[in-house]
Amino acid sequence: MKKKNNSYIGIIVLFLLGALMPFILKRYQLNMLTEIIIIALYAVSYNLLLGYAGLLSFGHAMFFGLGAFVAAVAIIHIQGLTILSAVIIGFAATVIAGFLIGSLLLRHKGAYFALLTLAFNALFYAVATKWHSVTGGDDGLSISRPELNLGFASLSVSSVSSFYYLILVVIGAAILFCWYFTHTAMGKTVLLMRENEERMKFLGYNTNISRLILFTFTGALAGLAGACYTLHFQFVSISAISIDMTTAVLLMVFIGGTRTFWGPILGVFVYIIFQNYLSDITDRWPLFMGLIFVFMVLYVPGGLSQPIMTIRQWFSGRKDNHGDGPIKVEETSS
Amino acid sequence: MSNIPVFFLHGLAYAGLLFLVSSGLTLVFGMMNVLNFAHAAFYMLGAYFSYSIMLRMTGQIWLSMMLCPLILFVIGALTERFLLRKVHVNGHTAELLLTFGLAYIITELVKWYWGNYPLAVNVSGFLSETVQIMGITYPVYRIFIFLCAIFVGLVMALILYKTRLGIILRAAVNDSETVNTLGVNVPLVFMGVFGFGAALSGFAGVIAGPLLSTYPGMAQDILIDAFVVIVVGGFGSLGGAVIASLLIGELQSFGVLLFPKLSIALVFLLMVIVLIIKPSGLFGEEQE
Repeated sequence: MKKKNNSYIGIIVLFLLGALMPFILKRYQLNMLTEIIIIALYAVSYNLLLGYAGLLSFGHAMFFGLGAFVAAVAIIHIQGLTILSAVIIGFAATVIAGFLIGSLLLRHKGAYFALLTLAFNALFYAVATKWHSVTGGDDGLSISRPELNLGFASLSVSSVSSFYYLILVVIGAAILFCWYFTHTAMGKTVLLMRENEERMKFLGYNTNISRLILFTFTGALAGLAGACYTLHFQFVSISAISIDMTTAVLLMVFIGGTRTFWGPILGVFVYIIFQNYLSDITDRWPLFMGLIFVFMVLYVPGGLSQPIMTIRQWFSGRKDNHGDGPIKVEETSS
Repeated sequence: MSNIPVFFLHGLAYAGLLFLVSSGLTLVFGMMNVLNFAHAAFYMLGAYFSYSIMLRMTGQIWLSMMLCPLILFVIGALTERFLLRKVHVNGHTAELLLTFGLAYIITELVKWYWGNYPLAVNVSGFLSETVQIMGITYPVYRIFIFLCAIFVGLVMALILYKTRLGIILRAAVNDSETVNTLGVNVPLVFMGVFGFGAALSGFAGVIAGPLLSTYPGMAQDILIDAFVVIVVGGFGSLGGAVIASLLIGELQSFGVLLFPKLSIALVFLLMVIVLIIKPSGLFGEEQE
């Protein structure tokens, strides 16, 4: 019980810290932080697949990009659309796409799954490039950010800090929901399926359905992040749906660590700050990211959160979970 | 519709290229159960090495066709020995991530060294000429690609089904542990197979250069098509790779002729249909 209270206090402190940021940070830093928060949801949703379910997807960007493009297209074609409706439309589109693609893929695992998701991502990218009249092709789409309509009042979110607060609330709630999800029965089912799927089948779980639900859920979250991404930059280009975007999230999540819930968020911080500062110094920063990535696959498979967890265990004096972090199957006495 | 034979021949040439890339991929996958994302990066390296060799030395493609597979064999074998084998204990996800990271690094290195723009490779001698077939004029080089693919396919089939090495290889696909117990150095076999796969894709890269030109995105472009080939043909099946390469090659070619805007979607449509009807691919064994 005490542990749970600690988490709640931690969450409240994080939100308060987040709320203070516009008074502390410079304008461009606040912009960067907004981007980090949006991408953090994208990374957390990806880690629900990779870290929790053990499914390596190379097609997460198709949902991110789909959400981004659908939101942009909706804003351009529907007059007087409010900002939340645009986000919801983008979200709904990815729910449908995730369900359809998931039902094709749910029988496949491991390398098959990785390969097929990559192929579908390539298809989405090809469609986005060729369907010039809707997606703008290589030119992308420019939008102007609509107003926020709360029913009783309309607010303008054109300033950097007001949009930041909106993102903090919307994305923060979504990430909290992911955290809550990992503690639900469904979240536990996903973990157990990763450990021993045969046994779960014997116990009467339909693992294919569970995988489909998870795939749709994570895809929809990525779509939500994508829609917010469009609103943040007021622009969407085909790079948002490209395989490079999948690669980016994979690098972020893995560098941060797949074995903890917060590892991917750390990874996003490191990646985006790295990207912003390193790209000033050298054009070759993707090469360095790639080298760091391969180094980590070889020597630090737990990512950056692995040494942090080890240090934390030193301080707390616990030696019980061998650096596995919170994503492990807990023995329950039921 | 007088150009149907031309498009048919175009399809054959592309099918040949696809087979050269996907056969190595499917061989490594069938044997080691590793889906090598760096496979297409090796193909790209083959193309770029060939460009440099032709530029510096002879201007002839023959030398590249012999040298590049050798270089790629060494690179592939070293990759297996010093990188892939280390992460093997961490499971398949780690292996996939490693090859993916390698592909990423190779692409970045290529952009750094050769530049982020297409480089034209020209063949000389009789390969650059045209020939009359069935009343149409057709470049020799595309026919040459198809013949290369047939030659490589036949050599692979001979090795796999007629030699002692082939018996070991096929046995290792089924049960590598038993083969290891019987006194065969299976890790060495794996190293050789991985190197051979890399050499094959390097060879494909050399002959792809003059056809498709050499550019940093070429790896990703062929990787997707090769993946579709092994999904349609069935994982680990060489015969499936032959049929699927021909199917995809012709579909690509006629897709451009009939529905210029939808040609990519056609290939995916085929993949989706196969996935729905027979998820293990046309010639694949049922997965457990």
